[in-house]
Amino acid sequence: MELIENIQKGERAAIAKAITLVESSKDSDQQISRQLISELIKKPGKSIRIGFSGPPGVGKSTFIESFGSYLVTQNYKLGILAIDPSSQITGGSILGDKTRMVEISKNPNTFIRSTPSKGALGGISMGTREASIILDAAGYDFIFIETVGVGQSEIVASNLVDIFTLIVGPGSGDELQGIKKGITEYADIFIVNKNDGELKIEASKTAADYKSALSYYKKLDELEKQVLLVSAIEQTGMEDVIKTINQIVDQNKQKGIFEERRADQLEFWIEEEVKNIIASDITKRLSSKGNISKYSEKVMKNEMSMYEAVETITKDTLK
Amino acid sequence: MTNKSNNGFNNWQKSFEKETKKNLSDAKSETDEGIDIKPVYTKDDLENFAFVENNSLPGQWPYTRGPKASMYTNRPWTIRQYAGFSTAEESNEFYKKNLESGQKGLSVAFDLPTHRGYDSDDDLVMGDVGKAGVAIDTVEDMKILFNNIPLEQMSVSMTMNGAVLPVLASFIVAGEEQGVDRSLLSGTIQNDILKEFMVRNTYIYPPEPSMKIVADIIEFTSKEMPKFNSISISGYHMQEAGADNVLELAYTLADGMEYVRAAMSKGLDVDDFAPRLSFFFAIGTDFFMEIAKLRAARTLWAKIMKDFGAKNERSLILRTHCQTSGVSLTEKDPYNNIIRTSYEALSAILGGTQSLHTNSFDEAIALPTDESARIARNTQLILQNETGVTKTVDPLAGSYFVENLTEELSKKAWDIITEIEELGGMTKAVKAGVPKLKIEESATKKQAKVDSGSRVVVGVNKYKNPKEPSVDVRVIDNNRVRDDQIKKIKAIKKSRDTTAVEKVLANLTNAAKDETNLLVPCIEAIRLRATVGEVSKALEQVYGRHFAKSLSVSGVYGKQFEGDKDFMKVEKKVIDFENANGRRPRVLVVKIGQDGHDRGAKIVATSFADMGFDVDMGPLFQTPKDVAKDAIENDVHAIGVSTLAAGHKTLVPELMKALSNIDPKSKIIVFVGGIIPEQDYEFLYKNNVSAIFGPGSNIIECAEKVIDLISDNLSKE
Ligand code: B12
Ligand SMILES: Nc1nc2c(ncn2[C@@H]2O[C@H](COP(=O)(O)OP(=O)(O)OP(=O)(O)O)[C@@H](O)[C@H]2O)c(=O)[nH]1
Ligand SMILES: [Mg+2]
Repeated sequence: MELIENIQKGERAAIAKAITLVESSKDSDQQISRQLISELIKKPGKSIRIGFSGPPGVGKSTFIESFGSYLVTQNYKLGILAIDPSSQITGGSILGDKTRMVEISKNPNTFIRSTPSKGALGGISMGTREASIILDAAGYDFIFIETVGVGQSEIVASNLVDIFTLIVGPGSGDELQGIKKGITEYADIFIVNKNDGELKIEASKTAADYKSALSYYKKLDELEKQVLLVSAIEQTGMEDVIKTINQIVDQNKQKGIFEERRADQLEFWIEEEVKNIIASDITKRLSSKGNISKYSEKVMKNEMSMYEAVETITKDTLK
Repeated sequence: MTNKSNNGFNNWQKSFEKETKKNLSDAKSETDEGIDIKPVYTKDDLENFAFVENNSLPGQWPYTRGPKASMYTNRPWTIRQYAGFSTAEESNEFYKKNLESGQKGLSVAFDLPTHRGYDSDDDLVMGDVGKAGVAIDTVEDMKILFNNIPLEQMSVSMTMNGAVLPVLASFIVAGEEQGVDRSLLSGTIQNDILKEFMVRNTYIYPPEPSMKIVADIIEFTSKEMPKFNSISISGYHMQEAGADNVLELAYTLADGMEYVRAAMSKGLDVDDFAPRLSFFFAIGTDFFMEIAKLRAARTLWAKIMKDFGAKNERSLILRTHCQTSGVSLTEKDPYNNIIRTSYEALSAILGGTQSLHTNSFDEAIALPTDESARIARNTQLILQNETGVTKTVDPLAGSYFVENLTEELSKKAWDIITEIEELGGMTKAVKAGVPKLKIEESATKKQAKVDSGSRVVVGVNKYKNPKEPSVDVRVIDNNRVRDDQIKKIKAIKKSRDTTAVEKVLANLTNAAKDETNLLVPCIEAIRLRATVGEVSKALEQVYGRHFAKSLSVSGVYGKQFEGDKDFMKVEKKVIDFENANGRRPRVLVVKIGQDGHDRGAKIVATSFADMGFDVDMGPLFQTPKDVAKDAIENDVHAIGVSTLAAGHKTLVPELMKALSNIDPKSKIIVFVGGIIPEQDYEFLYKNNVSAIFGPGSNIIECAEKVIDLISDNLSKE
């Protein structure tokens, strides 16, 4: 495919078109997209993929602008996939990430793609994993994935990246109780943003809360998880972030964790894909047979119990 | 006995209900402000007022009836027309002509590069020089601007906020070199930065240092320029951006409070500067509401200033300039605009404004021509000389309706002001972006009302003129202006003392690091012929340039169209498109260059999204190259360029070039919306623009056309 060559040459338009293909819901596009990804994966690049997740409005985009500007001055090539949560009930969205990434979006060493989440996979859009494979093949050093952290999506997002970062705001320490276990497992770095102005004291306090909570949940064989204080707006703390990232990457590579994780992630995605295919197949079968309404009527008329109905339908559908 | 309980009222009610076949309680009409207007007002409606005092007099507390006892009976309002274009030479000619024809004060409109602190030779402003105002690069331009206009006699108003330091410095130095001491200069500098972050978009630095600059100017003028108004606290731009009258009133006064605090924090006594604070409001088509707004503004400001501890009566009095609404004017059937402007002007006069700008009828097409500017000015001359409106002070005082409306507006505005104060004041609110969002919400609602036909705009959505008249348009050759300006800059840079300039600019940068009043070193720099751009950059080194975070409303437009046939038709087209193409139609809506008119772009973006489009929203001030990169990386189907400040003939071809530079085979289609004079349509179509949507376009129709064009384009592949 010519497209593949052009992606590998780093042509902007080719990369963009390829991402459209992997995001497309059209069957014919999906077929091409599978071929494409199968080819690209044969010649992997050297990208490190980093996820930035966190609640709405903590400053993820601003942080990426700030941290990204720092990286591009060091001549790194940076690909950014922003999953925009703004889709509405009507399905349309306003993708405004670019208004928060003014400086880096001008830089020739960046590629920034926003994608409406459309509610898929708790915030991750269809095709994000594939898009990162495309950017990797196109020679980007870092791939940032910005997702809104709401519940389940963190697990999915963490399975897309080599390093998973949770960005939180000052004062969020109180919520620690609720999220304690999940995050310690999935996040590698904790960034407390907005460490500036009047918020400084609160930010330090929050960082301390995280540190103590993390040491409490730390498993014996684990590295100490890092809690970093930054201000995206004042662009402070950025060296610490890159230092920490490099450290973790080096350590993980040395210990084989890096590759192990990628292998685990592959398993995760194979399972997801299989589940997806089965689920959509089953949905199709269910609706074509019209069993549900048929049996629910029977249940209503007390001709059978709900459990009998469920069992009958299941057997019939899986036949 | 109250009116309601007497027989007369009951009889009236019966007749009313018989005539209208409606219950009186259902016969209210709701305004944009959420105020219910009743079909009749009586004496009862003058009771229980918290703000308005029924027996007050003009020039007396709480100044509802006007700042002065005699008002226009002694001296009519000042006719002050806002104008400026291309070079200082041409604007100077225009000013002199206007003064000869009866205009009393000058009001300078600067071009966008000057507003944003760029010199005319800066690559970033290629399409913008001299287009939407006059270009000022050095004090030499300022001197030409006022050539043969004696500055000790002429009151000069300058709409300048972002680059307020170098521009005010240039004005002061131009005076000096005319032989006029700064203490004799009279006029107003807008110097209202908060509303720039909200709606006008010609800010340069972030909010905090910008507020410091505002305070510096108030401090300097209060000490050295006793006849000069240090600030014009402006609600005008908010209404033009879509705010209803309550929002306009509340945010303006809340801004005012913030400026008072900023000045007091410099150690000034409130009475040192408060008498030189002035205001600026828009006057739209809602006739009585606008009158009530001016009366309410004076009432509330008196209360606010008293609470600040003002002792001098002049500190309590709100004096204001007004401008008729530009956004009420239409591109379609443009002579109707003369009529609209006349009513608005009358409203401003009945509300008791101190000075007035009346818009030209070609407002929605381009900058005014000499002819249209003459008609606009005559609107006021006729009011002053032929109608008798100057003979009585505040003639609507005591009107049950107007007094009640004044009170209602005051109450509603006060609630918002209190809320903002509780949250820590306007600077904080502005930083969080809430007022801007509220204004955009209000603007979106208005658009939906017009598009759905529930609000009639004559000549646009009803009573259309089958034979649109063609009108003359002022054309500005910005390449020529730019070349002229660049020549002048070069000559000045050659002849000035470069080392001295460098030194004074370095001093300025240092001064920005502490609390020094920055106007003083700016005057020095300007005197030595530093440019507006150089001065701005010297400060930028310390403060940085501000990028606004853009938030968007959603669902506001769609909500007005629940069940609407046309709306649903577009929604269905979007779904069909998605089924056929594997994704929704994706459109990038952008502003290019220094044009900060974002009302249209924001409304179109949110409305398209409500119809199901995926809409990418670009930041302000992008270059054509930035836009092309953004469009291609996101693989959008189309780019919609919203352009109102006349840069389209330069910027659109540049965008086309930039697109094909990145991707020679690019299939992205480009359409254009905003202020495009008809003469330019062909030029744009020749440059491969697919469609043009002018002012007054129905957004649902735009959306349908866009999706059709995209589908056509895809089927060509
Ligand atoms: C509102 C307004 C302002 C507001 C802007 C608020 C804001 N945040 O947007 C304020 C008061 C701040 C303002 C300031 C200035 N303004 Co002004 N302003 C206007 C005004 C009165 C209305 C524009 C408007 O918002 N209309 C309502 C919106 C909804 O309509 P619209 O943008 O046209 O969009 C519709 C269509 O055009 C189309 N459309 C537009 N874009 C797009 C995009 C897509 C994708 C699609 C499908 C459709 C589409 O659909 C929309 C819905 O119908 C116009 C005159 C007029 N009547 O049009 C002057 C006007 C644009 N301003 C003008 C000028 C000169 C200025 C200043 C530069 C003055 C100065 N020298 O200081 C300043 C600086 C502003 C800046 N930073 O750029 C001039 C421009 C002259 C020219 N083109 O030759 C105009 C034409 C007035 C005039 N005749 O003098 N302004
Ligand atoms: N004080 C302070 N404010 C910040 C900082 N970073 C971001 N903000 C502000 O926080 C708000 C949200 O920033 P975004 O970058 O849009 O946040 P986000 O997490 O990407 O938001 P979503 O994408 O909508 O979930 C903006 O108003 C920023 O100006 C920071 O370091 N300090
Ligand atoms: Mg974001």
